Amino acid sequence: MNDPGVFVSGASCSAEPGCITCGDIAVVLTVRTLTGSDASCVDEEGREEQVATELVGEVHPGDRVLVHAGVAIERLSAEETGV
Amino acid sequence: MRFVDEFRDPELAEVLGREITALCEPGRHYKIMEVCGGHTHTIYRYGVQDHLPEDIELVHGPGCPVCVIPMGRVDDGIAIAERDGVILTCFGDMMRVPGGRGSFLEANARGADIRMVYSPLDALRIARQNPDRQVVFYAIGFETTAPSTALTVLRAAQEGIENFSVFCNHVTIIPAIKAILDSPDLRLDAFIGPGHVSTVIGCRPYEWIPRDFAMPLVCAGFEPLDLLQSVYMIMKQFSEGRAEVENQYSRVVHYDGNPVALKVLADVFALRPFFEWRGLGSIAHSALQLSPKYAHYDAELRYELPGVRVADPKACQCGEVLKGVLKPWECKVFGTACTPETPIGTCMVSSEGACAAYYNYGQYAKQRLTLEVLK
Repeated sequence: MNDPGVFVSGASCSAEPGCITCGDIAVVLTVRTLTGSDASCVDEEGREEQVATELVGEVHPGDRVLVHAGVAIERLSAEETGV
Repeated sequence: MRFVDEFRDPELAEVLGREITALCEPGRHYKIMEVCGGHTHTIYRYGVQDHLPEDIELVHGPGCPVCVIPMGRVDDGIAIAERDGVILTCFGDMMRVPGGRGSFLEANARGADIRMVYSPLDALRIARQNPDRQVVFYAIGFETTAPSTALTVLRAAQEGIENFSVFCNHVTIIPAIKAILDSPDLRLDAFIGPGHVSTVIGCRPYEWIPRDFAMPLVCAGFEPLDLLQSVYMIMKQFSEGRAEVENQYSRVVHYDGNPVALKVLADVFALRPFFEWRGLGSIAHSALQLSPKYAHYDAELRYELPGVRVADPKACQCGEVLKGVLKPWECKVFGTACTPETPIGTCMVSSEGACAAYYNYGQYAKQRLTLEVLK
């Protein structure tokens, strides 16, 4: 639309499998680097996304977080992610 | 997900389907409602119903935020967007929702500046980049999405960004479930609980359902095997005479939810006395507005709005579909006057709406059914 820059990696609302909001969709991403409360995260295909982390406490590179609409809503333990 | 293939294994699905069938009481018909639009999408996309016996019927609930937005709220958004100097931002699926004066997409074509964003934080970034414009975020979504709006408001306040506000349409899942249970039109036996909403609110808020209605609820993930396992857990409860809240999606849902997110929600939002839901009518304490502490960021206070209730088109039966009383294909205009390209009702707009999901994937179920008959 007017500002294509607002889209982040492949995670736009119109992407498969549908709108992230309507579908209650959240994705597991891995933290790569941190700048303040923002984390640069990657998905399994290596696509990058900036994620706000205030709602999940302290995170470190390598942690895996559940992300919805650019915000981490849960931090997953190694056991939970099968690591 | 890293191990996503394991959650789509057709052989495991067959095994689960057989175990579910074995748990069915002969002659009993089970109606299980999946509350969440994401589950509806998975059910149609992967043909989950095909793995279930005929005696188990999956009923689609009101858990698609786009589908429950009444037309008058769309018109309010357009009225904001048409003001001089305003940039309205919203999630993608909101763009095509029809209001009384058309959709956001049509308003955009008429000259309003309406932009699609992936996150409310993107809307805040647009506000930073356009200090001479007013940027309004049209917020929709259940408790999964509300924390991202709340966090954005907190960041706006911390940075002292004054040209940003929120038109809040966030809704809450528990009152909607209550409204469905109070509806005389529908008899249900159990619920498949929303997965990511539960990541935020946890499982405890559902405990009244088994306690007061003796109905099981299982919080479920979004892969086909997640849903089949949830149905298995529900059927196991029936076979053992139990009615409890259980958590199938324990790899991301903690029973008490995310306490930090809940605290932020309580700080930034307050419950509205009433909110109009498409199809379900006005439900008390079912939606959020900005709390007095952050009222400065409330677009409803910043702008004069029409605030007019607009009746749904007569031909549209979204209300009955949202309550699970009608199946999508039973609506009079399904697939004819109402299609994803030219939706009349909201359920046909979002790919998670029951009508759009069935329109896109239901034909495959019918094909499979035909092949079975031919065998």
